[in-house]
Amino acid sequence: MFKPFLHIQDLNLSYHNKAVLKDLYWEMNIGESYVIGGQSGTGKTSLAKAIAGLIPYQGSIEIDFDQLSKLPKEVLYVESWYQFKNLEGVANFYYQQRYTSQQAKETLTVHAELVGYGKEKGLHFDQVEPILEALGFATFASSQLIELSSGEHKKLQLVKALWLKPQLLIIDQPYTGLDAASRKNLNILLDQIAEEGVQLLLICNDTELPTCIGSFAEIRNGQLVKVGALESSASNETHLREIPDFLKEPPVYSSQNIVKMVNVNINYGKKQVLKNINWEVKAGEKWLLQGPNGSGKSTLLSLVNGDHPQSYANELYLFGNRRGSGESIWDIKQHIGLISPEFHWYFDPTATVWQSIASGFYDTVGLFRQLPYTKSTQVDELVEYFGLTENKNELLTALPLGKQRLVLLARTIIKNPELLILDEPCQGLDQQQTKHFNQLVDELCSNGMTLIYVGHFESQLPTCIEKRILLEKGEVKVVETILENV
Amino acid sequence: MANYFNTLPLREKLNQLGVCDFMDSSEFLDGVSALKGKKLVIVGCGAQGLNQGLNLRDSGLDVSYTLRKEAIEGKRDSWKNATENNFTVGTYEELIPNADVVINLTPDKQHTAVVNAIMPLMKEGATLLYSHGFNIVEEGMQIRKDLTVIMVAPKCPGSEVRAEYVRGFGVPTLIAVHPENDPQGKGLAQAKAYCAGTGGHRAGVLKSSFVAEVKSDLMGEQTILCGLLQTGSILSFDKMVEKGIDAGYASKLVQYGVEVITEALKQGGITAMMDRLSNVAKIKAFEISEELKDIMRPLFQKHQDDIMSGEFSRIMMEDWANGDKNLLAWRAETGETAFEKTPAGDVKIGEQEYFDNYTLMVAFVRAGVELAFETMVQAGIKPESAYYESLHETPLIANTIARKKLFEMNRVISDTAEYGCYLFDQACKPLLGDFMKKVDTDLVGKNFNEGKDGAVDNRQLIDVNEAIRSHQVEQIGATLRKAMTAMKAIKTA
Repeated sequence: MFKPFLHIQDLNLSYHNKAVLKDLYWEMNIGESYVIGGQSGTGKTSLAKAIAGLIPYQGSIEIDFDQLSKLPKEVLYVESWYQFKNLEGVANFYYQQRYTSQQAKETLTVHAELVGYGKEKGLHFDQVEPILEALGFATFASSQLIELSSGEHKKLQLVKALWLKPQLLIIDQPYTGLDAASRKNLNILLDQIAEEGVQLLLICNDTELPTCIGSFAEIRNGQLVKVGALESSASNETHLREIPDFLKEPPVYSSQNIVKMVNVNINYGKKQVLKNINWEVKAGEKWLLQGPNGSGKSTLLSLVNGDHPQSYANELYLFGNRRGSGESIWDIKQHIGLISPEFHWYFDPTATVWQSIASGFYDTVGLFRQLPYTKSTQVDELVEYFGLTENKNELLTALPLGKQRLVLLARTIIKNPELLILDEPCQGLDQQQTKHFNQLVDELCSNGMTLIYVGHFESQLPTCIEKRILLEKGEVKVVETILENV
Repeated sequence: MANYFNTLPLREKLNQLGVCDFMDSSEFLDGVSALKGKKLVIVGCGAQGLNQGLNLRDSGLDVSYTLRKEAIEGKRDSWKNATENNFTVGTYEELIPNADVVINLTPDKQHTAVVNAIMPLMKEGATLLYSHGFNIVEEGMQIRKDLTVIMVAPKCPGSEVRAEYVRGFGVPTLIAVHPENDPQGKGLAQAKAYCAGTGGHRAGVLKSSFVAEVKSDLMGEQTILCGLLQTGSILSFDKMVEKGIDAGYASKLVQYGVEVITEALKQGGITAMMDRLSNVAKIKAFEISEELKDIMRPLFQKHQDDIMSGEFSRIMMEDWANGDKNLLAWRAETGETAFEKTPAGDVKIGEQEYFDNYTLMVAFVRAGVELAFETMVQAGIKPESAYYESLHETPLIANTIARKKLFEMNRVISDTAEYGCYLFDQACKPLLGDFMKKVDTDLVGKNFNEGKDGAVDNRQLIDVNEAIRSHQVEQIGATLRKAMTAMKAIKTA
């Protein structure tokens, strides 16, 4: 008679006073690895945290660790987002901070962070080096945590997990922000540790998975249900509504030249992040910006959004004006709606859903003024459009990640901007939400809006994309028109 | 150089002490236009220098940095901060002669040397900007008559000045024009524009004078802000350890308690802070804070008197001349206290527990804020200025203690504040000797409500509430806080 590895019985859990898991019963056998998928907000993250013993719950969760194995008898939960701290133990960062050079070091380096982790867990440092190599992370050893992009932070989390090899490894959104090559290498590494006896529970809706994953499950009505494969099931709440009228207005361009970069270079000390970039974006064009992690995409976008201090020393034109000719960053931002993983990460934790969306009118992180009537009506309309009415007075951070993302997407388009910058906008959304959002982007763009879109998943792009720029190691590799979609 | 304030006739002393105007946001509709196209040259590129400069440039202004030759040649941190963010950097000789506004963001102690070096290089009719008036008021620095002298003082550390700006907000700021140096009458317009360039105009701006700023700033920082928080923290910790409370717990309660308690102060004044206590605890905290006020009043008054007469500056400058002998000895002593050396324990303390188990600190804060405020107002400082330099700044300083205890607080604050803090602490600890003998763990370390039935006399509670709520610091505070919208909640470990 075999005991299951993981045995859950009568598990009940609430998230913000709403029951998400109801009398959940589940068993996971020795040697099995699962993917748990399905719609956002069904309780996947809560379940994972309960299994890892990170939140209180009612019911029983038993794990039968292999006493003979030399793998640590523990459950490691890798969060989809995590908050690092500065050297003084606080996490009061802002998303532009990593572009500014400051001699006073605020955060640990990747190397110091890993040394500390290895010491805490009793791990040998020579075992982490191949993992760093495989994920293309070795070059970041001397980088400070504040300098990393979201994809790079994800890699740091994964490196730690792969190094530790706990008997049960739960990873929430393992592929978020990773480029295609890193995703492939991650799968190889996951298969290797599974071979050594690590059992995996991945929470995601991705389809390219490690081969050790044998089973799929979804949470439906508070129960965990084993399914044949992850369905792209039509979600019942996000039926397509008509977009509000104020978003159908074509943008008024003050200049046909949205972005023009002439031999742009960005350096931090001796490290060159962008090399001789030449790029032009004209009004109404729809661009796809691609490149592996660390190729300089976020830095390039920070130049466009007025966030990079080194803009002033480069030949850069935004909306027809030379950068540094007396404009303020707020003059630039008023033309732009932007979302990026880092922006989401550092967003105001004290803002409600409604305030978060409304702050998009002023490009502020948090709302600091009264909205005039017409603007506040527009916020209401967009809240309704995104199906967020019942959440509108809740704190943004109290919502599941997917919903938070929808709120910030609403914030991005609220002022019907001339230029939309969507840097991995659909992270954390389920497949249906992603499809709907990309349809919305297509619709907005058909009215003449300009688009710069970053996405690591070829299958999850809006159809309106017509041009592509590819970065590699800080250089432009390809600029092309994608004919098929014209 | 003679103390500037002491050269003034009484009428003019009172006149300058009384400059105090909480500015309406409509006064900033012109944004940065008064400085548009002008050359702004910042002296010094530390935390305030760099972050203010980044904000000003992002507001569309022309900013560069001037550093001493040695800092440039030695490629010091200030040089790296400026050049790596693509600012122009040059020596005084290279940049000052073309500057329309020279911004002096060096430490107080260097002001005389810096100003003596740059003033002869400044062009006719230019503007010199300070962020603290000590050099002008206490040291009596005389500025060339053709130059305009203004002050813009963001009331937050440099990193916050930047963080709030890029969020689209700002930090509360104080501005002033020196009446001896406003030959063209452009000082106020330029100060307002500079303030808008750093984002300060969105978070509440107080128009003050060099005199009022210095006299109130010195008073606030030495008494309630740094001095009393230091004394109260050390005495509380020692008392808990003496009474057998776990040292790790005591250390954590003291390190983070003052931040949690003053967060309530920030949101809703003394009233909100006291209301976080149970009725019995509130009455007790009221009674002991009244007692504390009586004990400490003469000390607060002495500090205010010495600040007004220039005696404080005189002895501090003596210490500067003496190689900071006293300052360094006191700093070392602070670093050696048991509180400083005991790390915060790995125990969970709930938010309410910080109030219930640390009633003593609530009493210290009430006594200190009210005393500092009352003493300043009695000395001729306007209530608005007194509010800024007492209640308003207390949570900011408490935050530095939460980060890394008293060492961090004393590292972050200015050198004048650090000196004054120690001076107060040295005198206050013995003064509270008898009082502390009576204090037991119900006031610090354990829940005050434990073993009490919670019943109070209605009449007594009504009287206590009335006394708390009707204090002038509460009335002025309610008005000012309304104007400073969207204050960010400080997070706690």
